[in-house]
Amino acid sequence: MKLNLSPAKLYKSLNLTIFTAVIVFLYIPILILVIFSFNDAKIITSWKGFTFKYYQLLLQNTDIKYAFQNTILIAVLSTLLSTVLGVLTALGLENKAFKGRKGIQLLIYIPLVIPDILMGVSLALLFNFVRINTGMFTVLIAHITFCISYTIIVIQSRLEGFDHSLVEAAMDLGAKPAQVFWKVKFPLMMPGIVAAALLAFTLSIDDFIITFFTSGRGFDTLPIYVEGTIRRGAITTINSLSTLMITFTLFLVVVSKRIRKIIL
Amino acid sequence: MSDIRLENLSKDFGSFRAVENVNLEIKSGELFSFLGPSGCGKTTLLRMLAGFEIPNTGKIQIGNKDITQLPAYRRQVNTIFQNYSLFPHMSVFDNVAFPLKIRKQPASTIKSSVLEMLSLVKMEDQHAKYPDQLSGGQKQRVAIARALINKPEVLLLDEPLAALDLKLRQHMLIELMNIHDLVGITFIYVTHDQGEAMSISDRVAVMNQGKIIQSGPPDDIYERPSSIFSAYFIGETNLISGTVSQVHDDYIELKCQIDKDEFLELDSTMHFTPLPGKELTMSLRPEKIAISRSKPRTQDDINFVRGTIEDILYLGTHTQYIVRVGKLRIRVFSQHKRVYFDEKALDWEEPVWLFWHDSDTWLIDEVASDTSPSGSDLEIASPYSRAVKKLGNQRI
Amino acid sequence: MNDLELKAAARRNRNSWILTAPALLWLTVFFLIPYLIVVVYSFLTPDIYEVKFRLSLTSYLDVVSSAYLRSLFLAFKLAFQTTAICLLIGYPVAYFIARSSEKIKNTLLILIIIPFWTNLIIRIFSWRIFLSYNGVLNDTLMRIGLISSPLEIMRTDLAVILVMVYVYLPYMILPLYSVLEKIDFTLLQAAMDLGANEAKAYFKVTLPLSAEGIFAGSILVFIPALGAYLIPQLVGNQQSLYIGQIITYKIKNIPRNWPLASALSLVLLFLVALLLVLMFTAYKRRKDKLKGLVA
Repeated sequence: MKLNLSPAKLYKSLNLTIFTAVIVFLYIPILILVIFSFNDAKIITSWKGFTFKYYQLLLQNTDIKYAFQNTILIAVLSTLLSTVLGVLTALGLENKAFKGRKGIQLLIYIPLVIPDILMGVSLALLFNFVRINTGMFTVLIAHITFCISYTIIVIQSRLEGFDHSLVEAAMDLGAKPAQVFWKVKFPLMMPGIVAAALLAFTLSIDDFIITFFTSGRGFDTLPIYVEGTIRRGAITTINSLSTLMITFTLFLVVVSKRIRKIIL
Repeated sequence: MSDIRLENLSKDFGSFRAVENVNLEIKSGELFSFLGPSGCGKTTLLRMLAGFEIPNTGKIQIGNKDITQLPAYRRQVNTIFQNYSLFPHMSVFDNVAFPLKIRKQPASTIKSSVLEMLSLVKMEDQHAKYPDQLSGGQKQRVAIARALINKPEVLLLDEPLAALDLKLRQHMLIELMNIHDLVGITFIYVTHDQGEAMSISDRVAVMNQGKIIQSGPPDDIYERPSSIFSAYFIGETNLISGTVSQVHDDYIELKCQIDKDEFLELDSTMHFTPLPGKELTMSLRPEKIAISRSKPRTQDDINFVRGTIEDILYLGTHTQYIVRVGKLRIRVFSQHKRVYFDEKALDWEEPVWLFWHDSDTWLIDEVASDTSPSGSDLEIASPYSRAVKKLGNQRI
Repeated sequence: MNDLELKAAARRNRNSWILTAPALLWLTVFFLIPYLIVVVYSFLTPDIYEVKFRLSLTSYLDVVSSAYLRSLFLAFKLAFQTTAICLLIGYPVAYFIARSSEKIKNTLLILIIIPFWTNLIIRIFSWRIFLSYNGVLNDTLMRIGLISSPLEIMRTDLAVILVMVYVYLPYMILPLYSVLEKIDFTLLQAAMDLGANEAKAYFKVTLPLSAEGIFAGSILVFIPALGAYLIPQLVGNQQSLYIGQIITYKIKNIPRNWPLASALSLVLLFLVALLLVLMFTAYKRRKDKLKGLVA
């Protein structure tokens, strides 16, 4: 037995310490937010007593209700469309001999490495240039635009590991090309499609900046509403709203794990 | 009748000629093997039969039907893939039912035929499992059931045992033969393992570099190889090159250089009549050579050679000796039978006599280019060292 | 190739065009063309509401004014510091997870990812509660008596960096984890077997092998940090504005200046592109060098 700590053990305990500190760092602010949503005080200061008051206020607030509806509507529609586009494009790019492959692949990667704010600016100017009134329609277009690259890449990565001999096996057993696709290939792509859809959904409900540039007056999503409220300083309901949104996130995490389990 | 006929079949991939001018007939119900090293074109040939590749030239016929350009899903041919290719999202039952569901058969028919098929491969109690819950051997069985349920005319097997361990491989080989006997359809088997091909097949085609080198029953190829390649690839052999010095009625005399000015005079029966002065190669299987410390009685039809033991390998069923004769290295297998055996075991560097019957050799009308016995890194009694290198050091 | 195969290849190529056409069209209309419009607008004459369709170079002359250059510089500085801190913290964390037992790996990863799934604006907002003048941090510190008057962290560059590290840390940890996880740690043992001490083995073996993750993680942190708006807007010093804030104000707030916002966007785009090209070349050269060493 050695008495002194070996360097390897030292590194390991150091890493453990840093890991624990990071977890605390990641969760403390969220925890404080949740606790303070029950705080009976007008401003976000110290603890003044327990209350459900702000949850009641929240449920009565019609602005929040509309913002929530808008957020979900945009998220569902943009998820649907960007996932369909993702499936089609990923399938098209599967063909390694495809003449347009390199160019299109590049076009898909570029939006991922450019700051979001630039996409917001460029879309805002586009809608101004063609004189489209900003609102739900323009927000939807914007959300699909930033989701496509992600859905394509997620589905592509699933297709990459696809065993092509399964297609040959199906054909060998008498399946025509359409049957091969619907009975073998598509079911096996499903986990990738679900992962892509979940990612698109989260990206959509989370987006602030691009929505900020492409939504007009009267069409707020939740992040836009929250930012406006913080800016106006009327923040009493934000804690409780945030707590609900965090709960929703956790719910999504659980659901996505379930879905993945059911599918494969 | 559904004999398979391949006519002038060739297939190129870019500038690489994978299959070259193959002509072959496979009889209905036969268990036929394509045997050759990797890259010899056997898998490409199989894929053309399955319909995954379209040949550049030539024709594939089953019975009277030309199927050369028929898509895979219209052929009465099914395949067992090397990695089984079971559908991971379907249960064993659904995998086997797949070909029937595709053809929209009624559910009751599907159920009874699937269960029948699964019982043929002894998997009926596993029908609810998924492929990732099965062992390699079980996957293999499901793949067989799935491929046979359509009652194809031909079953193609692409190295079906390569992924299994040795014991299971031997077991599945016997089971495959039983299934073949039961269903009675043509099996076409592709392998690089000569043991598998020899034990299972009615006939074997030995392939190399896209061409069929020789085809026939396994014992025919083993005993009467038509080329150095088939002699070498099937089993193990000593290849000794030499010049015909005399031609008699039923045998020839071969003069073989074994060192700078050392020659051996060997007799061999013949299956063709060469002219004196012709250069030939003689194949001499190691198990046909007797080895002894004492000189045997002289007989007309026995060849004697004096050599020195260079290496001894005890292999359980037999012992392998490597005997140095001049610059030749001759491999000898000796069975452990007390009656034939010297009383005291042979030892390293011991001078010995090798002798064999002159009808136990086989003449091949071919000479390898690098036979020179003065070569510094001489391979063991094999002038075909280039082939050896190509085959990737499969020898000891 | 024979005729049938040529035909099949041509058909597959055509199918690929058909399948990719919708996304190609979409990205052309809503991603590429908008940038052309940004270029066009950057040469127009500003107006407090929209633009005047008259050619002008004023916006580019404005860009080089020291105020805008300073905010551009600020963005680069804070984004760089954020990236460096993320790498410093993220690396040990990723290493720790990668070397944990298979059983708990996934749980640890999910622990890192959950905050990442939580809405961005909410996470920023929670830091305001924590850091503000009479917020939780100051309240607690004063109660224990560590400080006598509140610390002013809110509305400083430090707050921006702190929150950016908080928000973007998972972007660094995840790619690092995915390369570290693939590293065969027996290599490290082999190196130590051959006489390298642990530190040496680490620098000679593990670090070079994780370069890919460091590269990907740094890009994933640096680029959004560079283009951030919400974080500097909600916790940053409003006396020295971030480039994202300036662009947003010039687009949204009256008096507007769209040509200037366009020109600033293009400068930012150009700098990002330049940075990416430089990093990719450096990365490729390093990789080639490694290949050369192996061969």
